[in-house]
Amino acid sequence: MTNKEKLSFDVIVVGAGLAGSTAAVMAARGGLNVVMVERGVTPGSKNYFGGALYTHSLVDIYPDFFSRKPPLERPVTETGFWFLSKDGMVRATVQGGKINSNPIDAYVAQRAKFDAWWAEQAKKEGVFLIPKTVVVDFIRENGKVVGVMTDRPDGALYAPVVIVCEGVNNLLTQKLGLIKHDFKGNATALAVKQLISLPAETINTRLGLTGSDKGLAISVVGDVSMGLPGLGFLYTGNDSLSLGVGVTLDALSAAGIKPYELLQRYLNHPMIAPLIAGGQLMEYGAHLIPEGGWSTMPQLYTDGVMVAGDAASMVNAMHWEGTNMAITAGKAAGETAVEAHKKGDFSASTLSAYRKRLENTFVLKDLHQYRNMSRFLHNHPEFMDVYPNFLNDALGMFFTGFGKPKKQLYGDILKSLTNRRPLLKAVGDIVAFGRTVMGI
Amino acid sequence: MTTKTIDRSDLPEVYIDDILMSLKYFADEHEAHLKIIDPQVCINCKDKPCLNFCPVGAYRTQDGGTVQIAYQACVECGTCRVMCPPKNVSWKLPRGGYGVSYKFG
Repeated sequence: MTNKEKLSFDVIVVGAGLAGSTAAVMAARGGLNVVMVERGVTPGSKNYFGGALYTHSLVDIYPDFFSRKPPLERPVTETGFWFLSKDGMVRATVQGGKINSNPIDAYVAQRAKFDAWWAEQAKKEGVFLIPKTVVVDFIRENGKVVGVMTDRPDGALYAPVVIVCEGVNNLLTQKLGLIKHDFKGNATALAVKQLISLPAETINTRLGLTGSDKGLAISVVGDVSMGLPGLGFLYTGNDSLSLGVGVTLDALSAAGIKPYELLQRYLNHPMIAPLIAGGQLMEYGAHLIPEGGWSTMPQLYTDGVMVAGDAASMVNAMHWEGTNMAITAGKAAGETAVEAHKKGDFSASTLSAYRKRLENTFVLKDLHQYRNMSRFLHNHPEFMDVYPNFLNDALGMFFTGFGKPKKQLYGDILKSLTNRRPLLKAVGDIVAFGRTVMGI
Repeated sequence: MTTKTIDRSDLPEVYIDDILMSLKYFADEHEAHLKIIDPQVCINCKDKPCLNFCPVGAYRTQDGGTVQIAYQACVECGTCRVMCPPKNVSWKLPRGGYGVSYKFG
């Protein structure tokens, strides 16, 4: 150490995404001196998602969330599945009823705008943000983490506790040995998306929305992934549509398909193309999703360090949850940092309270329950192929079978399943799916 | 994982460079954050899946042998880091403030 004064804080947060800014604000509320280091020009500028945010997690951090005028897009007033065949579609969506809650459960958002705003709220409570800065390593003394080294000249920052919210490329988490392997190609998806601008009125008309205060969050299953384990999606912004597709890395690489061509094929689909006709491409992007969840989760804490968000594989791919897990985990990490400072002890045994907190929330409960899901879908591509096609055929035949004896009609419908998958196997698939969802 | 034949007949050809015009970058002209570790390893790599899986088409080959990375187009997703079969990519994050900068996300 030179005679220069050390830059010391109570807490260092690595990454100003949803997990990071939440951890930082909770620590600041506990009276701690918090620095948050972000590699992008602004928080959110490296982040890319579908996608929708979940109200429960947002108001949990800021009870007056909505009166702060957050930069949200449309509320999700209709949600569900679209099952695509090669040239058709079955829609299974829900609207009104339980979806029509106050406030609405989920809002479409754009991360570059939202994360910047979310970080701004943390700054208002005293968090010190250092943007345009990469944390490249930890500083250790006697084997314990006591700070981080950044890529700035004289870039050392010191604190007795570091909260790592570095995102899916969890290089620092690996550096700590909290996970012994890189993430796996069979448990990680690459998602690509186009944001397409269209007038709000056009969106309303094309998607059957009664106003610009109504919006969609749709999981698209079937032809969109060309039979590979993956899903498509569609979200409505205020005056944009967000359409993308995510496929497991192993499957994508083995198939030798270019992700942007897979996406363009989805956009060309006869049921999709009319929705976006005349639209202008605003932004294309790509991001990995750590869908392994429980199966690829690192150890969540060690002496002086906690890990939250994508870096900790906190994603429930089946329910499109991740942002809410990041926020809830960030909160738990921030609270644990405050507790550790009160005790004056930053050992793994004190920080284990972080994991205990999470065990009592949906985060670890759900990740454990869905622990086999990504493997299941990887091994059962028929859910992306056979069943969506069958559903299209079955309903198509059911509603066109006029003049045909109904016994024959039902026989034909059954045949359109068994031609693709033997009945016993199909029953087995459904049972296996149910067991995987229930986590048994 | 069951490998099955995939019908590619309706897979459109896409000029990714046109699509990348929609992206904003702060290009680091001095330091490439992605590098091929050993060019010979790429020449010997038969499949070269990087030419396909990279979502911005940053991996290109001129002669079917050597592979080049247009690191300026990278969106830092990490696919190549995980999926390069011989792990022949030196993958770092761009220096602070450089690289892709999403406007909407």
